[in-house]
Amino acid sequence: MQFWKTTILAALTLAAPATAVAETVLTLHLEEQSAWVRNFNPFNLGSRRASTIDLIYEPLVIFNPMEGGKPYYRLATGLSFSDDLKAVTYTLRDGVKWSDGQPFTAEDVKYSIDLARGNPVIDAYGMADAVESVEVVDPHKVTIRLKTVDSTFPETFSDVPIIPKHVWSAIPDPVATANENPVGTGPMTEIRRFTTQVYEQCRNPNYWDAASLKVDCLKFPQIAGNDQTLAIAQSGELDWFGSFLPDIEKTYVASDPANHHYWQPPAETVSLMFNLKTANEGNREAFNDLAFRKAVSLAMDRDSMVNVAGYGYPTANTHASGLPPRFEVWRSKTDSTQWDAFIGYDIEKAKALLDQAGYKPGADGMRTTPSGKPISFKILVPNGWTDWIDDSQIAIEGLRALGIDAGVETPELEQRTTAMIGGSFDAGLGSTLDGATPFKFYNDTYNSKSGGRVEGGSARYANPDLDAALAAFRSTTDSARQHELMGKVQDIVSADLPVIPLFNNPTWYQYSTKRFTGWATPDNPFAVPENHDGVHTRILHLLALRPVQ
Amino acid sequence: MRVPYRRLLIYAIAFAVAIVMNFLLPRLMPGSPVEAMIAQFGKRATPAMIEAIKIRFGQGDATLLEQFWDYLKGLATLDLGISTKYYPQTVLEVLGRSIGWTLLLVTTSIVFSFALGSLLGTVAAWRRGSRFDGVMSPLAVVLLALPPVVIAVCALFLFAVSLRWLPLGYAWDPALDPELSFAFLGSVAWHAILPVATLSLFLVGNFQATMRNSMISVIGEDYVTMARAKGLGESAVMFSYAARNAVLPNLTNLALALGSVFGGSVVTEIVFNYPGLGLTLFQAAISRDYPVIQGQLLIMTLATLLANLAVDIVYLWLDPRLRDQPA
Repeated sequence: MQFWKTTILAALTLAAPATAVAETVLTLHLEEQSAWVRNFNPFNLGSRRASTIDLIYEPLVIFNPMEGGKPYYRLATGLSFSDDLKAVTYTLRDGVKWSDGQPFTAEDVKYSIDLARGNPVIDAYGMADAVESVEVVDPHKVTIRLKTVDSTFPETFSDVPIIPKHVWSAIPDPVATANENPVGTGPMTEIRRFTTQVYEQCRNPNYWDAASLKVDCLKFPQIAGNDQTLAIAQSGELDWFGSFLPDIEKTYVASDPANHHYWQPPAETVSLMFNLKTANEGNREAFNDLAFRKAVSLAMDRDSMVNVAGYGYPTANTHASGLPPRFEVWRSKTDSTQWDAFIGYDIEKAKALLDQAGYKPGADGMRTTPSGKPISFKILVPNGWTDWIDDSQIAIEGLRALGIDAGVETPELEQRTTAMIGGSFDAGLGSTLDGATPFKFYNDTYNSKSGGRVEGGSARYANPDLDAALAAFRSTTDSARQHELMGKVQDIVSADLPVIPLFNNPTWYQYSTKRFTGWATPDNPFAVPENHDGVHTRILHLLALRPVQ
Repeated sequence: MRVPYRRLLIYAIAFAVAIVMNFLLPRLMPGSPVEAMIAQFGKRATPAMIEAIKIRFGQGDATLLEQFWDYLKGLATLDLGISTKYYPQTVLEVLGRSIGWTLLLVTTSIVFSFALGSLLGTVAAWRRGSRFDGVMSPLAVVLLALPPVVIAVCALFLFAVSLRWLPLGYAWDPALDPELSFAFLGSVAWHAILPVATLSLFLVGNFQATMRNSMISVIGEDYVTMARAKGLGESAVMFSYAARNAVLPNLTNLALALGSVFGGSVVTEIVFNYPGLGLTLFQAAISRDYPVIQGQLLIMTLATLLANLAVDIVYLWLDPRLRDQPA
């Protein structure tokens, strides 16, 4: 009798959790689409779902910008550079499996890189330009030989999707497939339900870090615009999203003050960029004059831009170096007071500067260059970006007070981006996404090679000393030396003021504590809290979430 | 009944012009799919990424004439191309999943508003000068003047957000799977209420006004007086004699209104997140998805032309006086 009692009790105890535990579902909003299309191909840059990278295809290492670029090892357990810094070796984690049960090995890493090298259409991160060869040392060790010394390679490499060789070698054209049933190493790989209005992405049955993952499924309702986001968010359905919500205290927080929260820490720097190589002679002469740029910087009412145009969400940037606040640990040790004096709002001081530099008013009352040529330009901002349009209006008010003939132009996003990258513009607002360290911001914005290649480099600034400092940063892995070089970069930029830093965009992050806790907050800033495609720390954020009991 | 050859010829010419316009319009817009994709990535675009996009989607080499010839060949085989925004889905797949919803929305709105508008116009004209007429007719003109976008946004805010009586959007409850069940169809109907009501509202005003005007002119005709003299009941005279003849100009009005219905449906779908052709066109235009824009313009043009043709034929059938005249 006792034996049976114990057996039945044991059986019940073992069976009960399987039926009694409810599933934890996290509802997110990552991207705006008019209908969900089942595409999880990491190489379809424009048409893949935003939940493909990181959640299905996990990187080897993630670098956390919130902690000075600290590495978090995911599929790899270690990385080391060779002595000449031209090869980097990754040690892979034991026991990692793809979601179909196959083991993850160095062959998969080699395959991922070689596929990109051989196919320019999928090589979105420059593997063909950077990598000389890939060697599989053993099933858990892979060495990547680089063409040139580049200590920032691991950061670039963390964007490359690591795909399973046994699946993709059978696909003739890697771009032409929608990859509807993806096989990955990430936390959420199973597409349980997919309709045009909602899809559910669930737990990887073979996830190596399953112990840390307390969320079973992710639910993505289809949302086509900000108005719907607001309507759905107010109803309490969304757990994690990141959208521009006007007057967020009233529109979002007020609908459930106990649970609806947001945190919008400053992110990338937005600057007023003058095209230093513009075809217009008068403009070019003025733009390339440091006195002119300093005067313009003093005409920018940054506080109004932040509080009036931006609803108080952005943060004014008060340093000539434009260093984003999240990289405070990288700030130059040099005293920058003399340069930062020109980052403020002082119309009289600006007028005096221009008078001193010889910018006399012309026949129409507007200032001309010292050699007498007219200055007239339009600031380019994308159509529909109302906050940036308002910022430009505020900038123009300041410029006109100085007597500079400036206006605003609002072409569609494509034209504006093409014009800025292509160089057919005079002035515009622009920004660069941050990497794990300030290197990406300074390289994209101030390196002479960036002009014409990325939006951040639209100003087309060229300074051999700066280029040399950036190159030196890349040639060393010594943290102290890197900090020293980054300081030098900031000093050069502060003194020369090639672009005019205005403010830092907010990180778009809103969340609800109704069903989950463990969120990143100002008291606990363990990750960049955004959930959008391109923010790798969202894996760390997801793993930190716990269902509310 | 004579086949309206001349009418068909006119429609054929209209269709040919539409094909050329549908080809030219997207290309006249500044920008290209490549630029749109690069801009979509914005700050995240690396130089290598930009190169990759240009190689895959750059179509700058072919001349305009060559592109047009490819386009015509594609039309003949019903191959509308591959979408750039939803790559690698074909245009037919992209449009196929949305066309049903727009048809549902547009057809229901047209039928509902035509029936309701005509009925209200008939009664208003019959009781001309009464209190009903005094309230209904000005109200119809007000509705006629209200832009669909204003009605849509107000309705969304009032009924869906504030009062929470009706759903916020979607074509059906996302928790359900599409299948032929009572629950699913009921959900579809429930979610269609606000979009259809919004779209119908301004149409009702239109049809009511036209119906009332033509009714008033018909009421003065001899055969109506004769019908009354025969001793027929009020409603019999009103519907079988007067309304039946007065509805003809309203049909022409319907044909003219079709274009604005499609336009109105775009706005309604955007506001209510309804997955129809309107929303698809909106997103395709933003991303310069030429194949989808072309395909959609073509379908919408074809639909409008066919509907006009249908109305013409119905007109011929309804009005015997037109049958023997040259078409």
